[in-house]
Amino acid sequence: MDRLILPKNKMSEFINAIKTKYQVFAPVENDGVTLFKQIKDSSEVNLDFSNSKVPPKALLFKQTETLFKFTPGTKGKIDPVDIPNEKTVIFGIRPCDAKSLTILDHVFKNDFEDPYYLTKRENTVLVGLSCNQPDVNCFCTSFDDGPASAEHVDILLTDIGDKYYVEVKSDKGKQLAKTVDKLLRPASENDGEKKKEVEKKAADIITRHQKTDGIVDKLDKIFDNPFWKNIAVKCLGCGTCTYLCPTCHCFDIQDETTMAKGARIRVWDSCMRPEYTLQASGYNPRPTRMNRVRNRVYHKYSYYPKNYDIIACVGCGRCIDNCPTNIDIIDVVTKAGEVKA
Amino acid sequence: MVDEKQLRDAVKKTVSRDDVKYVVGYKNGTYGFQVTPVFAFSLEDADKFIFSPLCVNNLAVYPMLEEKLPLRKGEEEDTRKIGLVVKGCDSRAIVQIIQEKGLKREDVVLIGIPCTGVIDPKKINAKFPHQTKTVDVKEDGEKFVIKVNGTTHKIPKDELLFEKCKHCENPNPVIYDILIGKEVKTSKKENYEDIKSLEKKSLEEKWDYWKKQFEKCIRCYACRDACPMCYCKECMVDQLSPQWIRRSVNLSENTAWHLMRAFHLAGRCIGCGECERACPMDIPLTKLNKKIEKDIKEMFDYTPGIDAEEKPLLAMFKPDDPEEFIL
Repeated sequence: MDRLILPKNKMSEFINAIKTKYQVFAPVENDGVTLFKQIKDSSEVNLDFSNSKVPPKALLFKQTETLFKFTPGTKGKIDPVDIPNEKTVIFGIRPCDAKSLTILDHVFKNDFEDPYYLTKRENTVLVGLSCNQPDVNCFCTSFDDGPASAEHVDILLTDIGDKYYVEVKSDKGKQLAKTVDKLLRPASENDGEKKKEVEKKAADIITRHQKTDGIVDKLDKIFDNPFWKNIAVKCLGCGTCTYLCPTCHCFDIQDETTMAKGARIRVWDSCMRPEYTLQASGYNPRPTRMNRVRNRVYHKYSYYPKNYDIIACVGCGRCIDNCPTNIDIIDVVTKAGEVKA
Repeated sequence: MVDEKQLRDAVKKTVSRDDVKYVVGYKNGTYGFQVTPVFAFSLEDADKFIFSPLCVNNLAVYPMLEEKLPLRKGEEEDTRKIGLVVKGCDSRAIVQIIQEKGLKREDVVLIGIPCTGVIDPKKINAKFPHQTKTVDVKEDGEKFVIKVNGTTHKIPKDELLFEKCKHCENPNPVIYDILIGKEVKTSKKENYEDIKSLEKKSLEEKWDYWKKQFEKCIRCYACRDACPMCYCKECMVDQLSPQWIRRSVNLSENTAWHLMRAFHLAGRCIGCGECERACPMDIPLTKLNKKIEKDIKEMFDYTPGIDAEEKPLLAMFKPDDPEEFIL
């Protein structure tokens, strides 16, 4: 791993230099919410943010994606669409969101290879930005991750005062670093120490903790416990928690047509909706909000670890921040662990 | 300030009635300024109940969220009442639902709270960020008293109040079975300042404004699901045949969704602002509802959710209605 330094006053030059070789998505202030958007110039970037409202998964697994187009009718035909394969940089992705992509990879390349996600994923370089000011509901440290972890990014930038400490992790990262090598210089040991200090300080800000020890086994024992009814009783059944979750990945497929043309699209779906499991017969195996809330927890903390040996939660806190009725995944999972089976 | 003992006693009295299923109120949430809905099924549960200026949720949504599964053989429907803690605006939602025959008056037991305004979570979280421990907020005249990390802050109410509360004409429940404390007096008037300034903009400016807002929408439907008036068995947005609105998330479909949502609430929205509070993307949804509310007030001198005996606006006709809009 290369360890380098980027002076702060070179940041905009750095971003603009990357832009000559890659299309760059970065956190942008958008009428009250921070979102990852394609930028035309470094001046649009806002690095003073806790995290984006919508996770950057939306850039690779788009909310609406056209799978192919078609002409309906007896003379109908299918027109494939080009899957975007431009070289892309997601600039400023947080370590937790970068981890979420590692988690999503399991889904999109396991039983079937999903070309729509994978093509974009392969062509995307993750330039991470350490989280120096974790927000109130951040809990990445509950999963032995840290707000300045370079594990799931290609390059990690950490603000260490007057400069950024740059860790180049992967070949993709090295290639990108080449395009900006004039702006970077080797880091000293002292800089490395400073990064560790910053990392520790940030981790100390995180005080909320979710207990996940033995949760997979525990969940096996409490599926029918009244606990779930008590948790779900106040749920409104909106899809906010799932849409803003960086690891949720369910989708629906629809044909949208006019008289002369049509497209098969896929759109984000949410297991919080009754329609999600409604069968053609009219039977619904998850008829109540209790079934649906429970499923969301089990998917992340039971089924996923069983299938892929990793909990499908990164501790970003978005579902907690945005739930209109304060259903709090830290609280729910910690308390599930305490339920008498 | 609401006397919590009086509130809990009222909850206990209600929940111990044979004809009451449960009582919904508020308790402290899991962090900072969060307050969360709580369901009391037994006397012990009642001791968790609170009421503070942080109690924003409109609990009138819950009777409409009751899940009625098919009954098993020999099983009888549970028709017991639901107890609800209601502020002024929340009680108006109940009145409106009763007008529409969504609920019968005897389906609910209402514990009314004279409300002096609730705090906008966005404003208080911006002022006192990163509060992991539960923070107590009290009221002292025209100030909120907030104790954060050992320091007591006195903040003028106007700084933290929800915008809707600044012009609230109905702080007292318009309908209730038990009232906690005394009714409050108010001289507040809805002046529609926001709406008037938006009305003055040109068509292009208006479209630019809303375009930016609707582009942000992720169609999570939190606006619908938090709304006590959105209780259709099947929402038009979920219908597949015919599919009124496509599932594609783009400006065109998003706009269609928001306009249809606003129109379906015409003459029904009681202005609790839950749609906007629940919206994760900060879309100023109440502006749409307020515009329609203003038009209806001007044209028909009608305010929804005041009198349970009255007919809903769209179900009545008065010969002297102004008809200037008919060409």
